[in-house]
Amino acid sequence: MTAALSLVDVRKNFGETQIIRGVNLEIPKGQRHAIIGPNGAGKTTLFNLISGRFPITSGSIALNGERIDTLPPHEINRRGLSRSFQITSIFPKMSVFENIRCGLLWSRGYKYSFWHLLGRQKALNEESERLLERLNLQSRRDLTAGLLSYAEQRSLEIGITIAGGAEVILLDEPTAGMSHSETEYAVNLIRTVSEGKTLLMVEHDMSVVFGLADAVSVVVYGEVIASDAPDKIRGNKAVQEAYLGTEAA
Amino acid sequence: MKANRWYWAVALAIAIALPWLFYNWSTGRQSGFAVTLLSEVGLMIMFALSYNMQFGHAGLLSFGHAVLFGLGGYTTAHALNGIRGAELWIPMELVPLAGGLGGLVFGVVFGYLATKQRATAFAMITMGLGELVTAAALMFITFFGGEGGVSTDRVIEASLVGASYASPIQVYYLIVGWGFVSILLMKLQTQTPLGRMANAQRDNFERTQFVGYDPRLIRFYQFVLSGFFAGIAGGLFVILHEIVTFDAVAASKSASALLASYIGGAGGFFGPIVGAIVVVLMQSGVSLLSSAWLLYLGTLFILMVMYAPGGITGLLALHAPIVRIGRLGELIVPYARALLPAAVCLAGFVMLVELASFNTIGASQGKEFSFFGQALDARSVTTWLGGFALLIVGGLWLRAESRTFARTFNALLEAAKTEGGAR
Repeated sequence: MTAALSLVDVRKNFGETQIIRGVNLEIPKGQRHAIIGPNGAGKTTLFNLISGRFPITSGSIALNGERIDTLPPHEINRRGLSRSFQITSIFPKMSVFENIRCGLLWSRGYKYSFWHLLGRQKALNEESERLLERLNLQSRRDLTAGLLSYAEQRSLEIGITIAGGAEVILLDEPTAGMSHSETEYAVNLIRTVSEGKTLLMVEHDMSVVFGLADAVSVVVYGEVIASDAPDKIRGNKAVQEAYLGTEAA
Repeated sequence: MKANRWYWAVALAIAIALPWLFYNWSTGRQSGFAVTLLSEVGLMIMFALSYNMQFGHAGLLSFGHAVLFGLGGYTTAHALNGIRGAELWIPMELVPLAGGLGGLVFGVVFGYLATKQRATAFAMITMGLGELVTAAALMFITFFGGEGGVSTDRVIEASLVGASYASPIQVYYLIVGWGFVSILLMKLQTQTPLGRMANAQRDNFERTQFVGYDPRLIRFYQFVLSGFFAGIAGGLFVILHEIVTFDAVAASKSASALLASYIGGAGGFFGPIVGAIVVVLMQSGVSLLSSAWLLYLGTLFILMVMYAPGGITGLLALHAPIVRIGRLGELIVPYARALLPAAVCLAGFVMLVELASFNTIGASQGKEFSFFGQALDARSVTTWLGGFALLIVGGLWLRAESRTFARTFNALLEAAKTEGGAR
């Protein structure tokens, strides 16, 4: 079976500086995979490379066996890979409902249509409502998205990310800046929405990582130094030295 | 939805009835000035709304929108001449479509270039295109007719409704008809996937990529559609004036769309309609009273940018929460109190502008300077000091008054917020 996502010797330089120094990563279909590592290790850059936000310097990235590393972001998205951002990225001036609906449009075949009136698209609107319910945002339906609380905006972004039905979901620090109870809520949400899908996430909160992930990769200085099941990562000497150890100390 | 339809019907009825307010019942003739003015307002509304499809809805600041309007106009002029030449039977009611198609085709060409970029780069490209087409209009005489432009004759004696379009009032109703349909279509377009994604792309273009859209194509299609409606307005312009010159593609024409959108309010759909009315009234009305009308329009624009970025409709919308709690009446007195100093300040400003303009232009024509019917010596120091005194006293007074006003206004907004929250 081909991996959902496979990275082979991916490198990225910004000028002279090597940010990603040869990353190899195989993520099987249906796995929840967490990427951890100290600040500045290149986790978010890795996400930007996979999602096509930045071009790679060398190597290859394949989604379900198909090369995607030369495609623009929207083409990658159409092939079933969706992502969220570390800094919340929603449509702040639109209503919560509109945000979700915008996330659905392409996958439901509306493209650049200027002949469908959105108010009359019953199936589309019902689907948007159902997704709002899953996100527990139905009481905020008509509120301008920019006015939501931080945690609600994070939920909304997860909603926009999964709305199109992508099979591979990339979440960049989905619980960053959340309180304990908000984090708990977000973890449950991520668990349900990633059911049966491939999830790749950057996360700093170890309780989230060990509670959610089937596998963990540790990125340090632009390289994956270990990639294994959570328990084994916890016991890995190199990882403890490079990352977990420093945090504990 | 039902209430909305009602508004549209009322607006259409007003547009149909308006010329008859200026009808001279004793001579049995329409007022030529009023009908032309109303026609100009109609054209400007369509032009400004098509501009706002780019500016307000898609966040594309264009400095060359008149290119689409003007080329729609040139296309229509040639189409009309072609229809006459070949003696084709094409009803006049369909001729503005030629303008629309012209705008559409040139929209594809220029849109392809301009929408490669967004934000500042887009603005620069449109500005360059505007200059380029204006220069071309003076150089390529076959299509543009040089400085003399392209003239045509609108009386082609083909009509679906039996109108000859010899009289301006018939042209006005043609403009009302096409204007109504265009405005309705532009409004509906905001509720389509493309319209919504144009907003989305404006607010967060990167996010649109990660929901599967190519933001460049969103900009392109939006630009092309906007060109279609601008072209229809350009076509109607030619039918109204029976001539189109390079002015129709020039930068000042583009600027008028920007002014109308901004002054009226680019945030909502209807703002540019209000702005277009203001701009045309200043162009055609104030210009009769003062040669400095453009200066007043510019000043109004700067004031709006500084103090009311939401435009006139944005200012009105600020009052909505206060209306909702039914306490708008409490603002009457504060408004009345601000009105007097504002009038004094404005009078001072107008007096100084008119004095300056009189001393440079009017005096050489041997006219007398008068202000509000009062003959004044334009060269005396006292008159100038009087102007400055009005401006400064009015300004200071207005500033003091506006503080009181702001307090009352904010208190009411606060009340509206708590009351809204309690519900």
